[in-house]
Amino acid sequence: MSNTTHPESHHPGTRVYLIVAAVLTVLTAIEVTVFYVPAMQPVLLPVLLLLSAAKFALVAMFYMHLRFDRAAYSAIFIAQLFIAAVVIMALMVLFAVFLGRG
Amino acid sequence: MEAVLPIDERPREESYLSGAIWGWLTTIDHKRIAVLYGFTALAFFLVAGIEALIMRTQLARPDGTVVDAATYNQLFTMHGTTMVFLVIMPLGIGLFANFAVPLLIGARDVAFPRLNAFSYWLFLFGALFLHASFFVHGAPDAGWFGYANLTERHFSPGTNLDFWVLALLILGISTLITGLNFLVTIINMRAPGMTFMRMPLFVWTILVTAVLILLAFPALTVGLIFLLMDRFFGTHFFAATLGATPLLWQHLFWLFGHPEVYILALPAFGIVSEVIPVFSRKPLFGYPMMAYSTALIGFLSYGVWGHHMFAVGMGPAAEATFAATSMLIAIPTGVKVFSWIATMWGGSLRITTAFLFSLGLIIEFTIGGLSGIMHAAVPIDLQQTDSYFVVAHLHYVLFGGSALALFSALYYWWPKMTGRLLDERLGRWHFWLTIVGFNGTFFPMHFLGIAGMPRRIYHYAPGMGWDLWNMVATVSAFILAGGVAIFLVNLFVTLRRGAAAGADPWQGRTLEWWTPSPPPEHNFDRIPLVGGRDPFWGWKYGAQGSEAVTAARPPLEAAPADTIHVPHPSWFPIVLAAGIVVAGVGMITRFAVVPIGGLVALLAIIGMGFERATAGEGEQPGVGTDRTLGVLDNRKVGVWAFIGSESIFFASLISTYLIYQGRSTTGPGPADILSIPLTSVSTFVLLMSSLLMVLALAATQRGDGRWSRIWLLGTAGLGMVFLGGQVYEFSHFYHEGLALQTNLFGQTFYTLVGFHGAHVTVGVVWLLVLARAAFAGQLPARRSLAVELCGLYWHFVDVVWIVIFTLIYLLKGAVGP
Repeated sequence: MSNTTHPESHHPGTRVYLIVAAVLTVLTAIEVTVFYVPAMQPVLLPVLLLLSAAKFALVAMFYMHLRFDRAAYSAIFIAQLFIAAVVIMALMVLFAVFLGRG
Repeated sequence: MEAVLPIDERPREESYLSGAIWGWLTTIDHKRIAVLYGFTALAFFLVAGIEALIMRTQLARPDGTVVDAATYNQLFTMHGTTMVFLVIMPLGIGLFANFAVPLLIGARDVAFPRLNAFSYWLFLFGALFLHASFFVHGAPDAGWFGYANLTERHFSPGTNLDFWVLALLILGISTLITGLNFLVTIINMRAPGMTFMRMPLFVWTILVTAVLILLAFPALTVGLIFLLMDRFFGTHFFAATLGATPLLWQHLFWLFGHPEVYILALPAFGIVSEVIPVFSRKPLFGYPMMAYSTALIGFLSYGVWGHHMFAVGMGPAAEATFAATSMLIAIPTGVKVFSWIATMWGGSLRITTAFLFSLGLIIEFTIGGLSGIMHAAVPIDLQQTDSYFVVAHLHYVLFGGSALALFSALYYWWPKMTGRLLDERLGRWHFWLTIVGFNGTFFPMHFLGIAGMPRRIYHYAPGMGWDLWNMVATVSAFILAGGVAIFLVNLFVTLRRGAAAGADPWQGRTLEWWTPSPPPEHNFDRIPLVGGRDPFWGWKYGAQGSEAVTAARPPLEAAPADTIHVPHPSWFPIVLAAGIVVAGVGMITRFAVVPIGGLVALLAIIGMGFERATAGEGEQPGVGTDRTLGVLDNRKVGVWAFIGSESIFFASLISTYLIYQGRSTTGPGPADILSIPLTSVSTFVLLMSSLLMVLALAATQRGDGRWSRIWLLGTAGLGMVFLGGQVYEFSHFYHEGLALQTNLFGQTFYTLVGFHGAHVTVGVVWLLVLARAAFAGQLPARRSLAVELCGLYWHFVDVVWIVIFTLIYLLKGAVGP
């Protein structure tokens, strides 16, 4: 294979990876718990979206190394992620209006 | 003024054009690939032109009898599909961007030469596959836009549209990879000193085009996948009777379709921005505004798709929004037109054929732009929709806009490609016949549209008031064809007997004119150091030649000639492309062929991964071009851009799931069937696989082969456990009564989660290949990037699952319109 080391990457050590894994596990456990608690039902949507976003960010920042790598990689990913989020929201709004009348 | 810079005039036999057929089949040289794209696209231009002439002959008089309705449907479908996917786009990007961008930025090739070759072969095979339909049961016949429900198996039972769906999927992969390649090339491979604001405008337009491709094509891919599943697997993604809506196709198609207009137009704008300054002997007027307006056009083009759908009734808020954005996009486009005019103003004009075609674009595209603004106004649009007025508008934009620029570019860069000048006298005949024929064909269509003539009708009754303009349009179409015939004569005659061009026949301003015509295989003996805009002009004439230039004379070199690394030829690109198309053929003929094609493709990918290094696919030492970016690795930039594009793909799938949530007309629904305990365990397994993945990377980076192998196998193992859980879940759901075809929930759920599973499967295969390399001792610390790239993909698959787990499983119907 033709790959070479990327000298600019300063990745965190095993300890940080294990801590992130523990946090991800805890957040997933909270998500599932929240799902089963009737009192949480009124705020289920924002709470779950928040927890999901936190997990997403942890993986992207620490496991995908965006926190440590060059900002250009973050820029490429975040710009397209933004467009992806806009696509979801725009289609949801357009169809909410259209299907809501149907 | 006199040139002070000696230009290396190499003997012609050392040019990239020499070599045997095997060399062309295995080439990964961007210039050869450009030539292959050029001749292929020109061949399909002739096909599409003949289709257009048959249609015009049919419509020349009332009650035409040249073709029947079914044939006419095939003709307009194939004409549109061919011109968009097989002519304009491949000429703008495949030919001119491929040929010119590396030369313009001072690079020796594109970032991924083998992927570049793969893109071409996939394009060629996909195009041939599409046209093979003519010889089977007839060509596709539902328009280039393929509106649902006409495309459903019930309404189009033949194989016509099967070819269309599969060919567009194949061509889409080719285009996506091309876009990714140019994005990385332009970000990462510019010569030292060539900052973004020193890039030639053509490079700017290709950069924005590449971004648009990455953002726009995934939406089309998702729409085509839905259509493919409807036609092959009995789903009903667009059937209103089952709770779905045909408008989903329209949204997905135009979410791609309007950025596609700018994917076709922006390279043309870039060409004109190169040609006008050279033949006006002035720097481009308002360069920064031209660059910003290019970026703004790209951004706005993603928010105007709804103006294609005013007639469906999206509601006043949506219509007002799309009307406003459609009008806004005229502003940056207008900036370009004024800048071109200001560049010519006061210039020392040389009226060459290349200049004439660019001038023609400014005039014709402006006419098309003005009728486009009319369509941004909803009440006017409603009057013009589906009339010949729209046919006139789109041809003024796509032929008057894009095609004229492509002709201009051929006259401009042909001497650099071949070392010979095209004949100017024949060129002027070509130009004037094109202008007369084009306006005579399409301007009367405005009148026909206003007079009520609908598009896509194969004949009309006498006495409608349409006879005269239809006859004028048809006669003019043949005049236009005459211009093209002269152009072809010019190409082939001057290829053998044309006057020698020399390196710099036009007194050029940019780097491609610095190297011989045709260029050597490695483009430049020395990588130039760039000190300003229009660097070659500055080197020739000093700073006074251009106010933007800081003269760097003589041009400095980044690398001595003995270190030039020329890409090695490779068979893998053509084999990989063949494997994918064989799989496509299997979808239509015999399903057992599909895995054979898939296996060939898989082996080719693995072979490519282990092939020896080729120039340009890694870091670019010494070619750090922009202080803000530093030295990035091509492959890493490529994987990040790919991941971003995949985000749009999954966003489109997730959107569809959410839009259709709760609209199934029969059960079971998500609340009845989704199992949180099982999926929670799967989620935990996938999250932990990400942990093992980073541990594998860390072990590889410190040269710990034993733990590298263990963690890689562990990651793959957890991936397989996740997939096992998914198989169990799917089979359980199936026994509970939820098949793929049961209801909208089944369709959208299996498609979304299934595609995620397919990505996990690809990741597992990738991990196993890496583990195999590690066991063979081929994964030392210096090659840890291979693990890092796989890791990025694996973690992306993980974060997509985090979103799916929340939106689809935990929220079970709490989200949706």
